[in-house]
Amino acid sequence: MVGAAGFAATPSLEMGRKHWAFLPLRAAQLPAVKDAAWARNDVDRFILAALEAKGLRPSPEADRRTLIRRVTVDLIGLPPSPEEVETFVKDTSPQAWERVVDRLLASPHYGERWGRHWLDLARYADSSGFHNDLDRPHAWRYRDYVIRSFNEDKPYARFIAEQLAGDEVPGADEDTMVATGFCRNGPSNDDNMGNNKEQYRLDELDDVISTTSMVFLGLTVGCARCHDHKYDPVTSADYYSLLAVFNGTVKRGVPKESDEKDKAKELVRLQALIETKAKAPPTYLLRRGSLQNKGPEVPPAAPLVLVSNPLRFPEPEPDAKSSGRRRTLAEWIAAPENPLTWRVLANRIWQHHFGRGLVATPSNFGFNGARATHPELLDFLAARLIADGGRWKALHKLLVMSATYRQGSSVAADVRRLHLPETPDPRPLTQSSQSLLTSAATLDADNTLLWRGNHQRLSAESLRDSILAVSGKLNPQLGGPGIKPRIRADLLTASQRNKWPALTTEGAAQWRRSVYIYVKRQLLMPMLELFDAPTTTDSCAERMQSVVPTQALVLMNDEFVEDHAGFLAQRAVTEAGGELSKAIERMHLLSLARVPTAERLKQATVFVTARESAYEKEAGAKETPRQRALTDLAHVLFNSSEFITIE
Amino acid sequence: MLTRRRMLQLSGGGFGALALNSLLHADGALAAPALTNPLAAHPPHFAPRAKSVIFLFMYGGPSHVDLFDPKPELEKWHGKAIPVWKPEDAFMGRKTQNVAMKSYYQFAKHGRAGIDIAETYPLLARHADDLCVIRSMHTESNNHGPALFQMNSGFTLPGRPSMGSWVTYGLGSESENLPAYVVLLDHQGAPVNGALNWSNGFMPASFQGVPFRSSGDPIAYLTPPKGVSSSQQRARLDLLRHWNEEYAAANPAESSLAARIASYELAFRMQMSAAECVDVAREPESIRKLYGLDRPATQHFGRNCLLARRLVERGVRFVQLYSGGNEGPKAWDAHDDLKKNHDLHCAETDQPIAALLHDLKTTGLLDTTLVVWGGEFGRSPVAENGKGRDHHPKGFSMWLAGGGIKGGMIHGATDEFGYNAVEKPVSVPDLHATILHQLGLNHEQLTFRNTGRDYRLTDVSGEVVRGLLV
Repeated sequence: MVGAAGFAATPSLEMGRKHWAFLPLRAAQLPAVKDAAWARNDVDRFILAALEAKGLRPSPEADRRTLIRRVTVDLIGLPPSPEEVETFVKDTSPQAWERVVDRLLASPHYGERWGRHWLDLARYADSSGFHNDLDRPHAWRYRDYVIRSFNEDKPYARFIAEQLAGDEVPGADEDTMVATGFCRNGPSNDDNMGNNKEQYRLDELDDVISTTSMVFLGLTVGCARCHDHKYDPVTSADYYSLLAVFNGTVKRGVPKESDEKDKAKELVRLQALIETKAKAPPTYLLRRGSLQNKGPEVPPAAPLVLVSNPLRFPEPEPDAKSSGRRRTLAEWIAAPENPLTWRVLANRIWQHHFGRGLVATPSNFGFNGARATHPELLDFLAARLIADGGRWKALHKLLVMSATYRQGSSVAADVRRLHLPETPDPRPLTQSSQSLLTSAATLDADNTLLWRGNHQRLSAESLRDSILAVSGKLNPQLGGPGIKPRIRADLLTASQRNKWPALTTEGAAQWRRSVYIYVKRQLLMPMLELFDAPTTTDSCAERMQSVVPTQALVLMNDEFVEDHAGFLAQRAVTEAGGELSKAIERMHLLSLARVPTAERLKQATVFVTARESAYEKEAGAKETPRQRALTDLAHVLFNSSEFITIE
Repeated sequence: MLTRRRMLQLSGGGFGALALNSLLHADGALAAPALTNPLAAHPPHFAPRAKSVIFLFMYGGPSHVDLFDPKPELEKWHGKAIPVWKPEDAFMGRKTQNVAMKSYYQFAKHGRAGIDIAETYPLLARHADDLCVIRSMHTESNNHGPALFQMNSGFTLPGRPSMGSWVTYGLGSESENLPAYVVLLDHQGAPVNGALNWSNGFMPASFQGVPFRSSGDPIAYLTPPKGVSSSQQRARLDLLRHWNEEYAAANPAESSLAARIASYELAFRMQMSAAECVDVAREPESIRKLYGLDRPATQHFGRNCLLARRLVERGVRFVQLYSGGNEGPKAWDAHDDLKKNHDLHCAETDQPIAALLHDLKTTGLLDTTLVVWGGEFGRSPVAENGKGRDHHPKGFSMWLAGGGIKGGMIHGATDEFGYNAVEKPVSVPDLHATILHQLGLNHEQLTFRNTGRDYRLTDVSGEVVRGLLV
């Protein structure tokens, strides 16, 4: 088990204030490096210095096909088209890479990819989760708001303020009200509260406090609901002071069972959390979190350990429509003087580009969280974010332009480059030098120092989206109400009161990007769920990458994969002509961004020919034997490890 | 304690596959491909009494005072206010008033220990000597959703792994070709909270409960789509394996690639073994009759009980069966007419449960299988709407059998009205701790780290109820 770091007892406030993550950002000194020529930008200096200190060298740049597939999936969640691949491969100008990066960052699909990362954190769903899992017919507006905000490169401070205090920010409008959906995305018990309404209200606000503190501050304040935090200097008083910030809020647009039955009665178009009065109700500390055990009244406040002077919440004007407390909190969270917020954000962005954060616990920067592998780099990136006005795209560009990002991921090649004292020259990889692999592993076993690129599995959404893109059937339409693709009828029966249509075929309306799939908490889209899409009940900072046989089953047997394998087979013939080798080549280009090796081409040809002759003996099939055989091949490609892996 | 190697296996190659390889080297355990089944069986903390659990979940809340906890006082107080009643305990608000209601059923004492069982469970009563009835259960919520979450995961809120996930995480599976944690639903649908009841929470998806359907494919996506023959599938898989092996060989540090190859082979085998497992037609007619598969009232739950035995027999670790689906009268949620509701649900479950106990005993499986019976709470001793009973969390009954539990005993007691658990109260975490204990797991040591904190099924409480153990 992972050893618990830190303290047997909760650290004192004084000790807490010295915790690395809470200290002001340190102005980064660019470290000295030996191989300065390798560095393409400042990011590389930090990475290289740490590698050199261990006697390691970075890996050489990955080949161009690998690179464009990597960055395209990374930035927009889709594979590059064969034309995009060929353009980049042939572009010999020094700006070739930058052109690709700029094109991708300007794509509206960028927001669909990076907005999805945010939706994980925001535990986004289109239904309530508890009991009968009521529909939230307007939740999708929050999803679209997020995607739009990413595409607009909205400054992070504004993004935070809109989500926590959309009714209180300057220029409040319907869009910023929609943004407060962040506080409304958690599961709720709207349809079956019985005698327990106050308890459920507090449970929902607990979800808001836990999510807000984890997402923006990397702090697990939710742990202090019933007692002082066990590991961090966060007290129950801190928790209830945050509750005081949100305590005056009311929910707008609560679905009722009657709405479910009466579709015409669409009175509420928003799913917002707002205040209606200037005066917030008093908030009491609840001992052991129990309503029956009221303690003293507490004022609104930021967690004491994070501020040198208590955060001041100004009294609202008597005629104000809200207490203004959430806006004050949001402004404090996003202030450039709040290092935690910016460290947490820089780490999240790094995490998605490189497969793991510089801090391995992205929503816990507290005493029990991981330490940064490159603390100076983290501070450097946080400072850059602030300097860039809290805009994400500038940091994306800095990171993906780095030599660190462009490294190859192969280990076999790394062995050759391993810098060992007794072997000053790189050695050719031979059978006997296999043992060096262990040496490389002992120096930096899990590549925390980034001496190579990390393999990443396609995310659940990117897997489905890639299949659609490669088959040529992806409908790129942006935004709008959630879609409900086909789910096998036998899966529908297991769910309670589902409103999922029993489709037998799919078309363009369903062949849209997965971020638009209706997120029904009790009936998640099976393929996405199996490939580790979040359960949505809590904020998800990092997805699992499990490998289980049910994943194989869905890729082997889902009609979706079967259909699109057929479409890919047709597309390859249409685009490449009737010659078998050309069709096989085209299928590889589309799905893997590369041409098959001679050996691979031979294997594929033998396979297709054998399948074709088997089908020639059968009668009554709609498709030609060639089409059926190519469908088999396309199906193998969609199932292949190379397809699902981003090198 | 789970080893580092085990932790990495669980992560399925999610972080630093190279680290895995090197750690396996360090452990002296490397035999490439090292990573096969993430659910591979591994040893418990200490010698277990049970290997599997069958949880008979009577969803909706069966009435303890009408089934296992007779209260003669209710006869005396019938129609009158009882002193222990508190308005905030009533879920239904004004519909439930403080008016005591006596049981509709006659009780008799059964077995050597004279266990009280209502007349609605005549066949189950014959197994009284195997039952350990806990009359002092209590839980936190008087609402289905939160109470289901608590009985399943220890918490009233969603987002935590369910008990089956914890057990699977702790022990893996003894079955190569079947999921480790199977859920069998009532034919009328899932309980409220749906799939969140058997959620893996913050654990990897491999620990999620897998619902087996009662008709068609038992597991989703178990058979190829129409028009794809098995020889065609095998041809695809052969080429796939070849290419995936090449790819894994070219990327030796990525152990998840080897795991992926293994997962396809396992999936292929599952297609046959899961179909074989659910094929109850392979059972002799006498067995099918024993479970009541020949009668409309018992055929659905009977089939699930028979399936539970077949699953456990094949090494499945945790099977949860729901009696009652959807809502209201389709579940044990007897708000309106208790007698009508419980007559129906007892008739549906009596013979199948008795058959299951008999069958497990005959085959010797009862020694290593812990059977748990109960709902998310009990029902109120006071009347709702004259003939029904409201939800009641403060005192209710469950029973255990097999798996190293003492048979023929009653543990704890509610007050004279069946309202509060007053003697030897057993909380949900206590029950969970006890179940884990029988499986050889220490509930305080079975932890999973999530966002920097080690979580337990029993959180900060839970004590093994030693008095129930053989």
